[in-house]
Amino acid sequence: MDASVTTQRQEPDARADTLVASYERAGYTRVAPALLQPAEPFLDLSGEDIRRRMYLTTTPDGGEFCLRPDLTIPVSRDYLASGLAGKPAGFCYLGPVFRHRSDAPAEFLQAGIESFGRSDKAAADAEMLSLGLEATAHYGLATPDIQIGDVALFASLVAGLDLPAAWKRRLIKDFNRKANLAQDLDRLVLGGNNARPEYQGVLAALAGSDPKGAHALVTDLLSIAGINAIGGRSIGEIADRFLEQSALGASARLPRDVRRLIERFLAIQGDPDGATAALRALTSEANMTSALVPALDQFESRTGFLEARGVDLKKVRFSTAFGRGFDYYTGLVFELTDPKRTGDPLVAGGRYDGLLTRLGASDPTPAVGFAVWIERLGVYGGGS
Amino acid sequence: MSSPLVLAVPAKGRLQENAEAFFARAGLTLIKPRGARDYRGAISGLDGIEVAYLSAAEITSQLAAGAVHLGVTGEDLVREMIPDTEKRVVLIEGLGFGFANVVVAVPQAWIDVRTMADVDDVATAFRQHHDRKMRVATKYINLTRDFLSAHGVIDYRIIESSGATEGAPAAGTAEMIVDITTTGATLAANGLKVVEDGTILRSQANLVAARGAAWGTQERDLARVVLDRVAAQARARAFREVRARFAAGTDMLVESAKRKFAIEAPFGGPTSSGMLILHCPPDQVYALTSFLRENGAEAVAVAELGYVFSRDNPLYAKLEAGL
Repeated sequence: MDASVTTQRQEPDARADTLVASYERAGYTRVAPALLQPAEPFLDLSGEDIRRRMYLTTTPDGGEFCLRPDLTIPVSRDYLASGLAGKPAGFCYLGPVFRHRSDAPAEFLQAGIESFGRSDKAAADAEMLSLGLEATAHYGLATPDIQIGDVALFASLVAGLDLPAAWKRRLIKDFNRKANLAQDLDRLVLGGNNARPEYQGVLAALAGSDPKGAHALVTDLLSIAGINAIGGRSIGEIADRFLEQSALGASARLPRDVRRLIERFLAIQGDPDGATAALRALTSEANMTSALVPALDQFESRTGFLEARGVDLKKVRFSTAFGRGFDYYTGLVFELTDPKRTGDPLVAGGRYDGLLTRLGASDPTPAVGFAVWIERLGVYGGGS
Repeated sequence: MSSPLVLAVPAKGRLQENAEAFFARAGLTLIKPRGARDYRGAISGLDGIEVAYLSAAEITSQLAAGAVHLGVTGEDLVREMIPDTEKRVVLIEGLGFGFANVVVAVPQAWIDVRTMADVDDVATAFRQHHDRKMRVATKYINLTRDFLSAHGVIDYRIIESSGATEGAPAAGTAEMIVDITTTGATLAANGLKVVEDGTILRSQANLVAARGAAWGTQERDLARVVLDRVAAQARARAFREVRARFAAGTDMLVESAKRKFAIEAPFGGPTSSGMLILHCPPDQVYALTSFLRENGAEAVAVAELGYVFSRDNPLYAKLEAGL
């Protein structure tokens, strides 16, 4: 039988309760979302890798539900359903989550905070990191390793590059997926129409023609063939990408200078102040200052708030390449770890400004938060 | 009284006919002593073996659970339904029927898509465009997940489909599919095309052994007998017997024919009277006979083989190594 399923329920210990009580005193409302959640938001937002580990069930009328694999989405949904939606509000929680894990029980405890609707993003980011540090300190680990990244920096760099849209999509996707995009850069190849001998005549004929005219031609050809939107993609979409691929031309590789720039960008790491200086130098050299100024200003402002909160910046390891497997992060990402033990995250979190819109919010709503792995912190002696 | 060796065979359809014909060719006649409607049978003249007639999916799960010793089922089901396949079962031999490819297929109208790299890019673009993930209809959830993940595709979600998967894109319930196909005709009829590097698995019916079954001495002995006959038949099918007689010495000739035509000389070189017997792959037979005649053979006879038994038992060796 499945070794990860155990009937022993892990009750929150007193230490975890005191931790969450301190979050309540800091102004966060304690919430307890339902254990059983509609599966759809998790499937849509978290990807098939999470689905593999989810406990899914089906209702007699076909609805799909799951045991909550995390609390960010449930807390967000409850917030959106409440009268507070769109307004600043902060929540804290403590309770079980469920994920299939071959080497550990499927049911385990997470505490955490989700903060919605605050427009002072840099200050909110810094507060999350420092509340996360309170969690490890509460359990007796005063100085964990602090790893931070900022997804907005890479997104701004890519947005500012002079590259076809197909390349920008690809770079952002791969950044979200891998912690180490740099090593893959020279292997990156786009599947281009140029590899298709049977299309080359048509593409050559279309090359250099008025894009609108070419689009109309391809659209018409598909319509003549009696093909309408099939499989959810419209004819216009197919025509757009067909022409976009042909415009990529003979070289399906990333231009060398762009590759070099990205590699140098992703190699930048160190303490936040040093990294900011390096980033400013690189972007001014590449004539990309204007593309990165907003993200860099945000980053510096956040660093200032961290310092004001007493976070020792020398202990903070920043890396431009530090991304997260969840693609809904949009800004700060952070992890607190203890490399002297397993190195697994003890606290992990970040900013996810796009999530609430994708869950149905009518207006863009800033959101930032973190989760605490209670069992992992349980091995430390403090907090009694 | 010890428990029997259980051999699970598909209960209906072409798979059953093919499986029965396969065992019959190996001299193993499946019988149903209690009538045709019975789901338990035996092998004529071979005591101690129980034949269980089950659906291919049931055979697969019974193999995974170790509830049957041997079974005939598709490799597609084995790879899909049994995580850590190699730890739970041994795929002993492809049986030469039940061929089907598990493939990624997209609407033919997607003229911008030919390779998995295109699928990856389209998936990402689709999500940006529609604010939801592209849907992949399939019953092969695990195979799909692993294959798409290996190709770096992340912006998709699986829609479980238990039948008529190829209709999903036209019905609007999915953008693309992963399904089995033999000729591609059904896919084409539904306006779908196979992605060029989108073949996940080339599957056929396999003889599969359960590592978790009870393998005592008696079960092993019976499996050895079954596999010996299957191997003898398989080897017989893979070769034609070619006989020729030479007047002069032919040692060099045999060596050179081995290199050229992938033949085997099961009884060694020519006899004292110059008779030579070779086993030759069917597609090389004519070339070999020409070669032999050019090199002095007066006449060459070619015949089909019934069985080729040899001292070694490669199929049983494979089973034993896996247990």
